[in-house]
Amino acid sequence: MDYSNQSGFRQRKLQPKVRMRGSAVDSGEPSQLFDDTSAGHNAGHSGVDKGPMVYAGQSLLSDPVSNLAMAYGSSLASQGKEMMDKNLDRFIPISKLKYYFAVDTVYVGKKLGLLVFPYMHENWEVSYQQDTPVAPRFDVNAPDLYIPAMAFITYILVAGLALGTQNRFSPEILGMQASSALVWLIIEVLAVLLSLYLVTVNTDLTTIDLVAFSGYKYVGMIVGVLAGLLFGKMGYYLTLLWCCASIFVFMIRTLRLKILSEAAAEGVLVRGAKNQLRMYLTMAIAAAQPVFMYWLTFHLVR
Amino acid sequence: MQKSRSANMAFTLYALIQTAILFTNAIAVLHEERFLSKIGWGADQGIGGFGDEPGIKAQLLNLIRSVRTVMRVPLIIVNSVCIVLLLLFG
Repeated sequence: MDYSNQSGFRQRKLQPKVRMRGSAVDSGEPSQLFDDTSAGHNAGHSGVDKGPMVYAGQSLLSDPVSNLAMAYGSSLASQGKEMMDKNLDRFIPISKLKYYFAVDTVYVGKKLGLLVFPYMHENWEVSYQQDTPVAPRFDVNAPDLYIPAMAFITYILVAGLALGTQNRFSPEILGMQASSALVWLIIEVLAVLLSLYLVTVNTDLTTIDLVAFSGYKYVGMIVGVLAGLLFGKMGYYLTLLWCCASIFVFMIRTLRLKILSEAAAEGVLVRGAKNQLRMYLTMAIAAAQPVFMYWLTFHLVR
Repeated sequence: MQKSRSANMAFTLYALIQTAILFTNAIAVLHEERFLSKIGWGADQGIGGFGDEPGIKAQLLNLIRSVRTVMRVPLIIVNSVCIVLLLLFG
């Protein structure tokens, strides 16, 4: 029983632990991801706080028992904060999430351009730095969570705008649109995870990567709905067709390097059932994007 | 058009949780001897060969078996909570 567990999915989970995104290596060099200014702010605040307390509570501080109690209380509080941070980090990997938000304006601009026009870009490989992927700030091919998160929120707002122009708006609809789109996103990520497990692909695609890739289609959806608002149904269909084609090409070119084996990814036609299945899987994932894009926007444009 | 719009928009997170519970329950009630072995999906029939390519059927059987083993006790708890909540709040 254990043999079949070792390969495929389990290996896929073991490998990303080696290539930890930005936790151990990057905490030693904060300039890699962000400049962490929280320590400086804390020192400033505690200095300001202790001032009035010293003046007002001279009698309080001189009493040794209350001194002891204060020291014990502060140590307890810091212990509790530490424990909470550690537990929270177990459920939501905050240190890994920081990697996905290390973006800057140039990266966002280039990535948005790639999402609507991926045909001229030639090198789709993610560059590595000592076995950890480089932060998105330095490599335009790396996935990030900033664009999907912003695009999701913008999609909700644009949906509200579109419904408002048709006099179908009410505040509950915004919540319904948001939860509906979120549910479809979760379903899509779970379906991709399940199919990756069944096909036993040895890849270092993490769940957050898949969420990022699934979130990139919201950019095309926003452009389509905006075109539909400005130019009517014909504009919506034309723009949506263009965005669907570009997301299809984008996903295929990005996923090909991650899912297929090395030889097949370089364009050499490698025959064999394994690679053929993986190619079908890549094309299925890429083809699901235009379907979702149409499904989530067609009711907004009349 | 009205019906399609409401069907699209009524997809809430609560519906997702319900779907997940129903799916997991469906996998958990598949009996090993009476059903899975009869259709060739038993626990011992999945492992065709060792090596690095288990194949889709072996992975699927492995998944079903592990879901049934792991989720047995949590499902009891979740189902009891659901029953109590539905009795109280309809």
